[in-house]
Amino acid sequence: MTRKSGKLGKWLVSGPPLLYLVVFFAIPTLIMVLASFRSPGDFGGLAPLVDESGKLDLNVDSYVRFFTESVYAQVFLKSVWYALLTTLFCLALGYPLASLVARSSRKHRNLLLLLVILPFWSNFLIRIYAWMIILGPQAALARGVNGVLAYFGHEPVALLFSSFAVLVCLVYVHLPFMVLPLYANLEKHDQALLDAAQDLGAGAWQRFWRITFPLSLPGVYAGAALVFIPALGIFAIPDILGGPDDSLIGNVIKQQFLETRDWPFGSVLSIVLTVAAVVIAGLAAWVGRRNLGTPSSARNARA
Amino acid sequence: MHRKPIALWIAAGAGYAFLYIPLVIVILYSFNNSRLNAEWVGFTLEWYDKLFHNDDMLAAAGNSLMIALTASLVSTVLGTMAGVAMYRYKLRLLPLLVLTPIAIPEILMGVSLLIFFVLVNFTLGLVSVTLAHIAFCIGFVAIVVRARLAGMDESLTEAARDCGATPWDAFRYVTLPLIMPGVIAGALMAFTLSIDDFVITFFTAGAGTVTLPLQIYSMIKIAVTPEVNAVSSLLMLLTLALIIIASRLSPSLVGAPSEGP
Amino acid sequence: MKRFVLLLASLAFAVSASAAKDEFHLYNWNNYLAPETVKLFEDQCKCTVVQTYYSDNEELLAKVAAGAKGYDMYVPTSNAVEALIKGGRLKPLDKSALPNLKNIDPRYLNTSFDPGNKYSVPYAMSTTIIGYNDQKIKELGLPTDTWAVIFDPKYLEKVKGRVTVLDSANELFAAALKYLGYSVNDVDPKHWNEAAALIKKAKPYWAAFNASSYIKELTVGNIWLVHGYSNDIFQANLDAQAAGRPFKILQGMPKEGAVLAVDNMVIAKDAPRPDLALKFMNFMLDGKNSAEGVTNLIGSGNPNMDAVKYIKPEILNNPAIFPDKAVAAKLEQLQDLTGPQRRLRNKLWTEIKAGR
Repeated sequence: MTRKSGKLGKWLVSGPPLLYLVVFFAIPTLIMVLASFRSPGDFGGLAPLVDESGKLDLNVDSYVRFFTESVYAQVFLKSVWYALLTTLFCLALGYPLASLVARSSRKHRNLLLLLVILPFWSNFLIRIYAWMIILGPQAALARGVNGVLAYFGHEPVALLFSSFAVLVCLVYVHLPFMVLPLYANLEKHDQALLDAAQDLGAGAWQRFWRITFPLSLPGVYAGAALVFIPALGIFAIPDILGGPDDSLIGNVIKQQFLETRDWPFGSVLSIVLTVAAVVIAGLAAWVGRRNLGTPSSARNARA
Repeated sequence: MHRKPIALWIAAGAGYAFLYIPLVIVILYSFNNSRLNAEWVGFTLEWYDKLFHNDDMLAAAGNSLMIALTASLVSTVLGTMAGVAMYRYKLRLLPLLVLTPIAIPEILMGVSLLIFFVLVNFTLGLVSVTLAHIAFCIGFVAIVVRARLAGMDESLTEAARDCGATPWDAFRYVTLPLIMPGVIAGALMAFTLSIDDFVITFFTAGAGTVTLPLQIYSMIKIAVTPEVNAVSSLLMLLTLALIIIASRLSPSLVGAPSEGP
Repeated sequence: MKRFVLLLASLAFAVSASAAKDEFHLYNWNNYLAPETVKLFEDQCKCTVVQTYYSDNEELLAKVAAGAKGYDMYVPTSNAVEALIKGGRLKPLDKSALPNLKNIDPRYLNTSFDPGNKYSVPYAMSTTIIGYNDQKIKELGLPTDTWAVIFDPKYLEKVKGRVTVLDSANELFAAALKYLGYSVNDVDPKHWNEAAALIKKAKPYWAAFNASSYIKELTVGNIWLVHGYSNDIFQANLDAQAAGRPFKILQGMPKEGAVLAVDNMVIAKDAPRPDLALKFMNFMLDGKNSAEGVTNLIGSGNPNMDAVKYIKPEILNNPAIFPDKAVAAKLEQLQDLTGPQRRLRNKLWTEIKAGR
């Protein structure tokens, strides 16, 4: 590393974001973490911290509830599954997009990138409504699919109000968060490496699998994290076009804060979700640490 | 950069189609002669006309734009700093604080921020919403910038330092241009997140603060009329225009030296 | 960048400073007050009405519980009023400022959750009933005056995948309890388990639990039968006619009874301008304003006797909106549940939705 960086540089660079996040994130969140140990208020919110007899009212009732009533764990696992599927599909769909943009000429690159993200500046709700139109039973897609199914003697399926609709929209909503990190990484790949490989006889697939993909792994991990983690907590999509079985942990958490007004339990569920997400992300980063790029590993990859 | 295989064009084309078919419907239905966003009835400009007389909706759109621009600017600066710091130094707390807002359910973050603002007696309004947005956008920017930095050749920066450049100069003239695509990508993400946020905005908005998502979600039980399609389409075009203008004015900001190390 | 922050900060100051000026902050459901009526009030009181919206009582309650300030008036449904009163969030009303209160039908006054109307006055009402596509339902020969058509597999078979129910534990349990012959406010866990079993049996035939986009789907013809709010169903029919559909969307009042939701005007305890709030309350208690501002706009029920002469006939003669005495006797308002009850209900609800 450079000789003079040292302590001052470290604090100058990491200080401001650290301070901001401590004030506007860590402290508020700690309030809610504390809330997970309190009792719910009778009419919503939280019961007073110090009850009538002057004692501190802290307990682990809500945690006990989570670990004893297994239905919550079941919903949680289903959400993990959906988030995983979403990430994989986003990767499959997003990689070619990011690749195309990264490999385009300077003139076109920015435009192509903007085109990827432009749809997401329109409102979320009407984009979902657009999908309801596309997937509706009377629209072309459903008619086509059910026509084919009918040919094989199968019952018609509903595309709307189903897990399929939920997944399609989950992928749709998270796609840019896969494309952007991937693009940022792919953009700096040196074409010379690929040209050299080709000169040495490597086919297109080999060039991709042996050179491009490994070098792009930091981007893949970043994109996967930025898709998987938010997708775990989503609730609006199942609410609007999910089927009767598509309730996810995000919906359950929302219910705790709204219908049930049980904030401590909502906090517990949120904490479990957050911890799980951070742990999974951390694990993935640790597993792929050789590829996540310290300066020395980059030199090794090039050698 | 030159020959791109046909397979890539097809796959990417499918991706763009997936992105744009719903968008085409969104824009198309802003001309739909029906209150509902459900099926095509006929062509009309009625909704654009209604929109231009709908002060509430226009004010909400303006607020959203202002908040998104500010929040993405600040969070990009802070997020880039965080991304660089996480890459360069061995830190414990910052990576955790950066990653957790992405994981934490929005409703928890919204409620906790509201309680926090009330506790410190901070008046709720546009500022409280912006502060909240910055908090959850920093992480996204930081992760993208860090991914961009990963695998970057440190020898260039070292060479600059060896030639006598100060750390700030090395950063500004060597590192920053190299990570610029990551910074841009992060900024775009932050803007997207902010302009469409509902849950956190709902809890941190003041008694007279309306953003576009707040306005629209409150219509969800009655009907999200094509006026919403109209304002969305216009907002998209406006943002696109702003970016094109900005990139013309400062091409060095948006482009990056692509023929990299 | 600095300028941006300054601009925003000064905006925030301006907003908070002007709260003391003649601004009335109303936190209301969207589309629950005609713009013309707002203008009328603004002219009368020489003030500005600043409306912000919520789409669910629970959102209002969560925000208030977290300490949100700055609003003068909310318009919560009765069970939410109950929660707000018990939580000490409301300001008692100065009845001397509300001469128009005499217009309200005494049936809707002096309720169990607010005896003597210390804190609230009724605003508008709706019922949670059955909505249906008259063409399809006639074809299939299904009844429309009983909850059986939502819960009984023998009827559901014919409309499999074309039925939605509200995504609300309170509402769905209420309908199930009514069908089983109990009160909507029955809190016996045994009865709740019965209701949960009934719901689980019917669930495979339902397309979705949906409280937001079901009306759209009903109007388009993708969904043929819903458990929904009377206002929404009324609006769906208007939309269907406007789109030239061959069918009508009609309301079915189940003979077992249904939930009546009365929305009320209340004043926040820390309201900046309670005087304007009282003025607005009295203004909306006037029959004409109530009829034109709310009922004629969205087809909601109206507890104001003086409003009757201003209400459009097609709304007034609709038995689902203005039910006769016999039906009205079967309607019940939802009461708020205690903490432990809410938790039990949420557990049952989560099990239902998780497919257990």
